[in-house]
Amino acid sequence: MIAVNIILLSVSNRRYQSYGPGRIAISLIAPFQEAVSRSIRFVKDIWVHYFFLVEAAIENDNYKKAFSHSVERNNLYKELKLSNIRLRSLLDFQKTITDKVIAAEVIGKDPSPWFKTIMINKGKDDGVKKGAAVVIPEGIVGQVAEVSLHNSKVLLIIDPNSAVDALVQRSRARGIIKGGFADRCVFKYVLRKKGIAVGDTVVSSGLDGVFLKGLPVGQVSDVVKPNSGIFQEVTVTPCVDFEKLEEVLVVLNLKKHMFQSEQ
Amino acid sequence: MTYCFHVGICICLVLLQTTIMPYFHLFDRFYDLLSPFVIYLSLFHSLRQSIPVILFFGIVMDSLSGGPFGLYLTTYIWLFVGVRWIITFLHVGDSFLLPFIVAAGVLLQNFIFIGTIAMFEPGAQFLSAAISTVTIQVLWAIFTGPIFLIFFNYFHKRWNSWLKKVVVKEN
Repeated sequence: MIAVNIILLSVSNRRYQSYGPGRIAISLIAPFQEAVSRSIRFVKDIWVHYFFLVEAAIENDNYKKAFSHSVERNNLYKELKLSNIRLRSLLDFQKTITDKVIAAEVIGKDPSPWFKTIMINKGKDDGVKKGAAVVIPEGIVGQVAEVSLHNSKVLLIIDPNSAVDALVQRSRARGIIKGGFADRCVFKYVLRKKGIAVGDTVVSSGLDGVFLKGLPVGQVSDVVKPNSGIFQEVTVTPCVDFEKLEEVLVVLNLKKHMFQSEQ
Repeated sequence: MTYCFHVGICICLVLLQTTIMPYFHLFDRFYDLLSPFVIYLSLFHSLRQSIPVILFFGIVMDSLSGGPFGLYLTTYIWLFVGVRWIITFLHVGDSFLLPFIVAAGVLLQNFIFIGTIAMFEPGAQFLSAAISTVTIQVLWAIFTGPIFLIFFNYFHKRWNSWLKKVVVKEN
């Protein structure tokens, strides 16, 4: 029986023919198989996709967190880069000044819009003295008005109480730069006969014993020659953008300055 | 303990005004935040509770500002006296009147400031700039002043209830 069975199997294997009952069985079973396998695939798809979505959502959350961290880090790097540029510019400027200077950070501004002062994070302990000049590469910032141990108050040149001895770079016309309003300065006591034009650069004269000679103060933005009087009314726009002021240099050896100017 | 609350609030206001607000151009011409606090003190607190705080923070503000020393102190004292006088015949606890009280306070402060500048800097040409600054400050005060007053009052009540709980627990 076993031998007969083997012979039959080998013969059927060689001919590759399908018989009627086999085809019927296939036709009967196949649709069910298909339906069942589709259902299984459908359930499997739902199952896999559901978990996939949950996983994707979790991954998405993680990516979002990583992205926000990257954005934060990127902002920090950008801020560091900008700060680096500013500090390098301060350092380059520091090299051009022969006097001893100290860099300070702006930590606060005047509580009133009527007065213009800033607070810096250097004080008596760092060698800052009342009356010291405060500058940046763009030009004159102001003068130290009050000093505590670790902080100082700086009177900006745009404050009504401030005064800087200055001259026009082109015509050498001399006058006093006083704080005006709307973040501008007034160039006072300039003789009518002196030629001043809009766009002229105003620099410090060095005669006040506070600021070095030749430091930029601002540019002439308006000139009015009244019919009477010996002075002309000159408005100056400062070179320094006081809204964006973050770091400044404080000139420490004031006495030497005073001595030089007196000489 | 009320003093602690007042000092805490004032420190927060000073820091907000001198370090955070300058970063936003929107608040370039915002009014002095301690003005509504002085108004709040004069409306809801006794003389004994208010005067030391006003004196202390008047001096603090004078030290931080570039104006003549004593300017803020003077302003706060006049503001306090003015509001105390107003509440003798006006019921200003009413929220309808609060915006106008704060605006009047800000206006008074600005008048004192402008008067001082004009006195020390005769001939200073700042009329147009002054008018726009005062107008903007008064508008800010009308719209945001009462919010500050309500905020101070609410937090003071919360502070008091928290203190009571702490005292009861300790006993």
